[in-house]
Amino acid sequence: MTTINIGPIHPSTHGVLRLVAEIDGDTVVRVEPHIGFLHRGVEKLVETRMYMQSPPYMEKLDYVAPMAYDEVYVAAVEKALGVDVKERAMYVRVVLLELQRIASHLLWLGTMANDLGQLFTVFMWAFRDRDMVLRLLEEAAGARMFYVNMRLGGLIRDLPEGFQEKADEVLDYLDKRVKEYEDYLEKNPIFMQRMRGVGILSREDALNLGVTGPVLRGSGVKYDVRKNSPYYVYDKLYFEPQVRNEGDCFARYKVRMLELRSSIRLARMAMEKMPAGDAVGMQIRLILPEAKNRIVTVNRELPRGECFMYLVADPQKPYRLSIRDPSFINLAAFGELAKGARTADLFAILGSLDMVMGGVDR
Amino acid sequence: MKVERQDLTAQIEGIKKGGYDYLVKITAVDYEKYLEVVYILRNTEGSQDTTIEVELDPGDAWVPSIMGFYKGADWYERELYEMFGIEIKGRHVERLLLEKWNGKIAPLRKNFVWNTPYETSD
Amino acid sequence: MDETPYTKEQFMNAEKEMSKLVLDSMKKYEVKPNVMFAKLSQVTKAMSKGLINWSRLNSLWPMQFGLSCCAIELMDFGAGRMDAERKGYLFFRGTPRQTDVMVVAGWVTKSMVPEIKRLYEQMLRPRYVIAFGECATCGGPWWESYNIVKGIDQVLPVDVYVVGCPPKPENLFAGFIKLQKKIGGEIEG
Repeated sequence: MTTINIGPIHPSTHGVLRLVAEIDGDTVVRVEPHIGFLHRGVEKLVETRMYMQSPPYMEKLDYVAPMAYDEVYVAAVEKALGVDVKERAMYVRVVLLELQRIASHLLWLGTMANDLGQLFTVFMWAFRDRDMVLRLLEEAAGARMFYVNMRLGGLIRDLPEGFQEKADEVLDYLDKRVKEYEDYLEKNPIFMQRMRGVGILSREDALNLGVTGPVLRGSGVKYDVRKNSPYYVYDKLYFEPQVRNEGDCFARYKVRMLELRSSIRLARMAMEKMPAGDAVGMQIRLILPEAKNRIVTVNRELPRGECFMYLVADPQKPYRLSIRDPSFINLAAFGELAKGARTADLFAILGSLDMVMGGVDR
Repeated sequence: MKVERQDLTAQIEGIKKGGYDYLVKITAVDYEKYLEVVYILRNTEGSQDTTIEVELDPGDAWVPSIMGFYKGADWYERELYEMFGIEIKGRHVERLLLEKWNGKIAPLRKNFVWNTPYETSD
Repeated sequence: MDETPYTKEQFMNAEKEMSKLVLDSMKKYEVKPNVMFAKLSQVTKAMSKGLINWSRLNSLWPMQFGLSCCAIELMDFGAGRMDAERKGYLFFRGTPRQTDVMVVAGWVTKSMVPEIKRLYEQMLRPRYVIAFGECATCGGPWWESYNIVKGIDQVLPVDVYVVGCPPKPENLFAGFIKLQKKIGGEIEG
């Protein structure tokens, strides 16, 4: 039995993560993740800033899909202060969030295929497609990666003219590309052997460990926040959460590829049904609600899972903001998943869990 | 739902049998006179959340571990121990995020002041 | 640049010692040592400034040190649209022993400092450091946190700072070109 240290800087761990693995021959007996290399105390920093000064902190928690975290925080503040979102702003937020979900899944695809030995072909294609989506978002929100564009009650500005035609072109192109990715990867026997039957998570274990997102849906539990407790206009847009029953890496991969397709459809539907109106939110400096220490909880579906915020609100600053990050709890389940696997399968399982270390360490 | 510390394990066992099979989060809030530990549980079939709150005295801060009921409580309890200084009775808890921390006050308490000098053991 | 560049006396002393070794070994072959060695030393002095520097400039191999958000822009820099390989920065290596440049992208915490130092010492000279992004330059938005080192230049000697949060990949290109000019001697500092 040897102990191996897969250190913080490694070409295949997605971020700064140390894995201490005890290995007997080729099978892994125990894996322990050591985290904390990116800890900067976001929950304490937010207590010293006023409400609308904190979105830049929240965006850097999940730096692959930052607009989603921005939206969770602003929704929590809106609920605490009793501000309603305008109707056209709801549709615009849904369009931008679904585009962000497409970009995030494309990056997951590129890095995961990179780890499994498809050195760089799928990575290059996925980054090219992600760049097109990022250009669309740059037109709508103003920046390439950290868009602080959510305001209380709406957005910082409405969608520009001609956005719908450009978005339709990109979405049509992406529809064909998803089929190409699936063909390229699923007809490859090495990829299939490395993914099928690896890292199986049963349904009872998944519920007991508390995993979220595609990891939970890949194990047979039909739970999607957009469907079970719908927010914005998701109850008017028709979609079904994708569920697979096997629980191995291939099931999680397939759930995300199907989610890519459903996001493309959702973005199109939301753009068609958008009413005319005003989508600009408020710019506020000082906020004074009546009650002190009002408690508010908000639930949203991020590309990686479900984010849950528990906010204890004071008149000008948050008293306590507690963030439940999806990558945190998915990584906590990694120790159970990797028992009995082979050494080379560790990275296949890590890739299929889709973690971002900024959220794990907070 | 407010619960006393001695009834905590019995209450959680009862709730788990009632169909709440998913643990969402274990957090804590530091109101300056007392600490409050919050357990948030969910029923996946009906999509409902319940919260259980336990009030603790800052000088006598410990809770029993609920890892026997939910395996996902592992890392949440470690984070509670590290960030708030709340001890977990019933299992051996190690630090999670700050592995070489020598300071005397836990970081997320209200009496921890920013940029106090502390030494990391190297 | 390196903290301890060779001074002229050190270079001349090394030459003299090497020349004694060469002379001893050449006595067996009865070659006229003085003329040949004088020519060799002239040629190496001319080459060492021009040719070796030029070849170093145009093939800087960076090391992958993406810690957090700036790592996504680093991956974008290496990918298709903003191709890093066309200028000679081959795709990022995993081991520090084969690289020239360390691009520190992301915020550095106190737990990470011994790892960074160990990797920097494993790189072979001449080695350069680029601080990419605001967090590596000055601590960035996490200026007040209790666990963050305020800028990587408190730990390592930095050559080029690239500013932005995160900088666009074009900015990183400009940073690399400035590093090339610095190695070639066009820019001081």
